[in-house]
Amino acid sequence: MKTISRHLTCSSVLAFVIFCLMIVAGPAYPKENFKLRPGAEGKLCLKCHETFQKTLKSRAVHQPLKTGRCSDCHDPHTSVHQKLLTADTNALCTGCHKELLPEKARSTHKIVADGECVKCHAAHASDNRFILIKPGNELCSDCHKDVGTQAQEVRFKHSPLMKDKGCLNCHDPHASVKSDYLLKNVVPALCRECHKTGQPSFKRKHLDYPVDEANCNSCHSAHGSNTRGILYDKVHLPVAENKCAECHLKAGAPNATSTKKQGTELCKQCHRDSVDTIFTKNRVHWPLMDKTGCLNCHSPHGSRQKNLLEKSVRETCGKCHEDTVKLQQWSISNPKNTNLCEPVKTGSCSSCHAPHSADNVLLIPKDSISIGICGECHKWETHSTHPIGEKVIDPRDKNLTVECLSCHKACGTGNKPNMMPFETTYDLCIQCHPERRK
Amino acid sequence: MICASNVIPNAESETVMHTLIKRLAMIAGILSSGLILTASWGAETLKFSYITSIYADQVDTVLQKDSAAQEIIALKHPEGVACDDRSLVVVADTGNARLLRYRFQDKTISNDLPPIQLPELTLPARLQLNSKGEIFVLDRKTRRIARLTPEGAFHSYLEPSGLPSPTFVPRSFYIDRNDAIHILDIFSERVIMLNSEGQYLAHKKFPKDYGFFSDLTVDFKETHFLIDSVNATVFAAAKDAAVFSPLTQNLKEYMRFPTAMTSDSRARIYLVDRNGSRIIILGSDGSLLGRLSAMGWKESFLNYPSQLCINSRGEIFIADTINNRIQIFAVKE
Repeated sequence: MKTISRHLTCSSVLAFVIFCLMIVAGPAYPKENFKLRPGAEGKLCLKCHETFQKTLKSRAVHQPLKTGRCSDCHDPHTSVHQKLLTADTNALCTGCHKELLPEKARSTHKIVADGECVKCHAAHASDNRFILIKPGNELCSDCHKDVGTQAQEVRFKHSPLMKDKGCLNCHDPHASVKSDYLLKNVVPALCRECHKTGQPSFKRKHLDYPVDEANCNSCHSAHGSNTRGILYDKVHLPVAENKCAECHLKAGAPNATSTKKQGTELCKQCHRDSVDTIFTKNRVHWPLMDKTGCLNCHSPHGSRQKNLLEKSVRETCGKCHEDTVKLQQWSISNPKNTNLCEPVKTGSCSSCHAPHSADNVLLIPKDSISIGICGECHKWETHSTHPIGEKVIDPRDKNLTVECLSCHKACGTGNKPNMMPFETTYDLCIQCHPERRK
Repeated sequence: MICASNVIPNAESETVMHTLIKRLAMIAGILSSGLILTASWGAETLKFSYITSIYADQVDTVLQKDSAAQEIIALKHPEGVACDDRSLVVVADTGNARLLRYRFQDKTISNDLPPIQLPELTLPARLQLNSKGEIFVLDRKTRRIARLTPEGAFHSYLEPSGLPSPTFVPRSFYIDRNDAIHILDIFSERVIMLNSEGQYLAHKKFPKDYGFFSDLTVDFKETHFLIDSVNATVFAAAKDAAVFSPLTQNLKEYMRFPTAMTSDSRARIYLVDRNGSRIIILGSDGSLLGRLSAMGWKESFLNYPSQLCINSRGEIFIADTINNRIQIFAVKE
């Protein structure tokens, strides 16, 4: 009896869940089942929605509208979605346009993944191809402002970016199965579609180095630059002076693109003083010690970033220290954290840490890992009336003195306020003052 | 006794379930006479209890006996710790450029051996002992491994003879129970195996895809394990295997940036999560068994731990670097 009753209860719950899902998920019946009179499709809607007569004269009209199948997207009676849509916009568009999100995409445009198709496309009609709301690069530049501005303002422009399809000459607007950054193909195969590497002029410009399989983005800025040959504006001196052989083997040699030396030994050929200084410190950042050496963080040819960093400081550090950068990002996004340190706000890891080497732990370039470094920006003496400094022993650990990091965590604390590793100031204070516990 | 409010959950990547498990474990820990009960993900549940901490070169027992004891010098950013199965514990007092030796017996720490200060030890960071009591020290500044006699005198630098592609940079090293020396060479991307005299025996190349290897260990079956700090992944290569393969998936959900590892007599793997300030314990198959401690300042909590050592009695010694101390725990089966 009990078993039957349990089965009945389960069935009821299941039926209720399915019912709820049907309501949320959209139409509970096939779209064709509105039983419209013959020939009424579309025309019926336009009787009231007169403005669509003008819309239909646009250069590009969405196929369902053109063929009068309004009910492909809209429910004529009721809907839980806005504008009487039969489903959430994401589900609605991908219902027909399945091919836009391939299963094994290497990169996907975020707005496509988020189902925000209408950020680029008009739902009904437009005078632009693919019913885009704006023509060509103008549309992309709305979000990718920096790239749009760069492409327009630079002295040496990359010609495909300026041609009819603009950004779409190289990028797929929805997703790419072949490459990162929505590129239609991997670099250099993509570049070779236009740049014929076998031509004498190409070889001459590359000093006869076999760069057919090299990463073009290592030297060239694909969106244009102010340097001839669209080399990056921040370019390594040997590259600017066409002195590839300073670092690489001679052009005619086998494996000519290989470097003469490995790791820091290569860079030391010119940057001897810098490298020597780095190695006089107690603690050298470990990646400097492997075969890749400086190139773990720096680009050897050119970069958009200061000091030829591959990416921004935050992104460069985040390549390995993803956990810390996540914490920093989490701290920024937390509304409780109104008093974040400037380096945490800006992701400037090198404000506190020496990226190459330091004498102190955690690559802190000061004698004190707390007051010494925090005191560069903060007047800690006036911070509060709480005793602080070398003579104040931390009651939690007799080998520590009370300093900034006794109460704060320097890389951020996520959802906890004031860079404290506790939910409230009370929680912090009772660490050392248990007698004040409520 | 562990105070619940002292635990700062490094919960940025934790699921609600894990937080719940941890809280329950903590409550159980408090109720069970000071035991710290770790959350258990596998079939095996491990219990740890905090025993004591080492804060200085001279411990209280010595001071009480010897009124003429010299000035006490506190530990400063200790990064290394090694122990044997008798009672010896050696500490790399990194910030003070010296090694300290203690005896740990019957849950009591004592030190009747003088500190070791040598010109060859500018920044001692990682330590290992062999069966003869010799002390091996990786110096963080010179990046060389120094071999010291059991008495603490400098013997020689470890300079492998017969090594193919002789350039090597030791990020870490391990001495197994047969006294063979295993070096994690981050320059030539390999694990170098040497006999007890430092002669080259063989090497194993790093796997193709990895972030950055910070440490290695070898279990009693002579399986090599590597910890990839960037991807929080353990790689393993059985004794006769030529290549390393991943033993675990990316464990970033459970740890932030593991930089050191060791294994115990039951082939459990202990990972030191430096940025996450905790110890993660894995089974020999890579399954998660639990974790020990959390970020904090009070005793039993950690702040950027560096190296860990475990002896056959299940006593765990942790170099609690930023808290300037060595903490000792016991693992109970």
